[in-house]
Amino acid sequence: MEKDYYVCTGCGLLCDDIEVELEKNAVNKVYTACRVGVAHMKEGSRDSAFLVDGKPADEAAAIKEAALILKNAKNPLVFGLGTSTNEAQKLAIELAKKLSATLDDTSSFCLGPVVEALLQEKFKTCTLDDIRHKADVAIFWGADPSDSHPRHLSKFSYFPRGQEKQRGWEEERTAICVDIRKSHTAKICGNYFFQVPQGGDAEFIEALIAGLSGKIPKTSYNYPPKKLLELANILKGAKFGTIFVGLGLLYSLEDLGPLVRLLETLNEKAKGSFHLVPMVGHYNMRGFNENLFAETGYVNSVKFEEGAVKHGPEYSVVEALKAKAVDAALIIGSDPLSSLPRSIAKNLLEIPIITVDPCETLTSRKAKVAIRSGVSGVESGGSATRMDGVEVSFKPIVETNRPSDEEVLKKLMEAL
Amino acid sequence: MDFGSFLSAPEIKIKIVTYRDIFQNKAMIEDRFGEDYRASSALIKLDPADLKQLGIKKGDTVIVKNSFGKIVVRAEESGYEAPHRGTAYMPNSPWSNSLVSDETGGKGVPRFKDITATVTTAKGEKVTELEF
Repeated sequence: MEKDYYVCTGCGLLCDDIEVELEKNAVNKVYTACRVGVAHMKEGSRDSAFLVDGKPADEAAAIKEAALILKNAKNPLVFGLGTSTNEAQKLAIELAKKLSATLDDTSSFCLGPVVEALLQEKFKTCTLDDIRHKADVAIFWGADPSDSHPRHLSKFSYFPRGQEKQRGWEEERTAICVDIRKSHTAKICGNYFFQVPQGGDAEFIEALIAGLSGKIPKTSYNYPPKKLLELANILKGAKFGTIFVGLGLLYSLEDLGPLVRLLETLNEKAKGSFHLVPMVGHYNMRGFNENLFAETGYVNSVKFEEGAVKHGPEYSVVEALKAKAVDAALIIGSDPLSSLPRSIAKNLLEIPIITVDPCETLTSRKAKVAIRSGVSGVESGGSATRMDGVEVSFKPIVETNRPSDEEVLKKLMEAL
Repeated sequence: MDFGSFLSAPEIKIKIVTYRDIFQNKAMIEDRFGEDYRASSALIKLDPADLKQLGIKKGDTVIVKNSFGKIVVRAEESGYEAPHRGTAYMPNSPWSNSLVSDETGGKGVPRFKDITATVTTAKGEKVTELEF
């Protein structure tokens, strides 16, 4: 019997081997997915809801009000989209152009710079399938997939018996963790956990480069040179290595320079090749970056103006809100009142907000128009780009009367 | 009369590092206004010696504040083997975000994982409600 497998859109891994059991058009049981995935896939099947000023409204009235807000704004912000399909993201880019809007996603304050560098081919990269089949060394740097991407180690990076790695983690794979705390992933890495002080990553990288180049690795915090040389030796012996970059590493670096130099040195000194994969959290953040890059040459933080596109940190959600530069916000699948510093997010309360989100959030509670959309990947289908750049298509699991992000954006476009 | 209430409670200065937690993430997906999410988010993990200095037991509430905000959260022992006095850990959440500086150097990236604050006992005060 042929089985139906579904894709989990719970995180950037987009696991495509999920089985479900349905009961009364709701997901009742989920097999194969992780703890987060199970919760995510059971999220659907709630009622449709359109709220204007916190009161129930019909769809037409909500779309009309939302369109009016956007029309009246001089510099609206379109933000979010990390949990929208590629199709919805492309529509949002068109909408932002039409509105001469500022357009950004969460990547401007998380892994955007790494995805941008990958798209500009500053790093060698590979797919998670390559890693599953070939990789012998995985470094989790400032990343804790055991909590953020729970099936990362079991499906791709450490435990699987890949085509060229039939002996698996017991004999053929080494997992290394560099972090400022002993995370759950660090525990799995055992003796290959390298604890650095907060903000100490850049120095650790330089010392590691020294170690790889046959020099004595030194740090101002006196990291044991012997341990650094031990790490350098493991990396030198790698045939197929990957550095998984997490926010912990990125936030600790002033710029990507040290990381670029480390990858260059590794590819020069190691037996095999070294790659870099960003630990993208939202299931389609990378898709947003790639779609915007294809359209404008930038991955985030843009402002459209009379057919031209401007780019810079001043057009990031954080700086735009901080400077009070935007006068309305269309927020799709994101909850900035929760995820941004309160000291900055509070400025959102001074402008009209439209939210398109499957959940009730702190932001949707403050929205002038709140549209409860279907859960992407559960109630609506489409395509998305996995953390490693592989495109994955998915179909809806259950039927819903809730509109998808894509449908909402189409209707908004028409109303404008 | 509880004369202790007139004495100033010990206050310590800490650096807070934020992190992700799978149980908290699951609780958020299920209900971001629910008790599970609050219980797994509104907490700070301290070195046992810091708990002792504050004169509190694990599970007691503490006031964590700086010039950007003030929150009441539950204090726990971190459970890390290596001592880390002066450094505390919080799951990334609207509670931790209440303390994040608005200073970004114009780069668009707040210092989510690098927060400086003070901690003192909340003397039984309840955990801060999430609202704007």
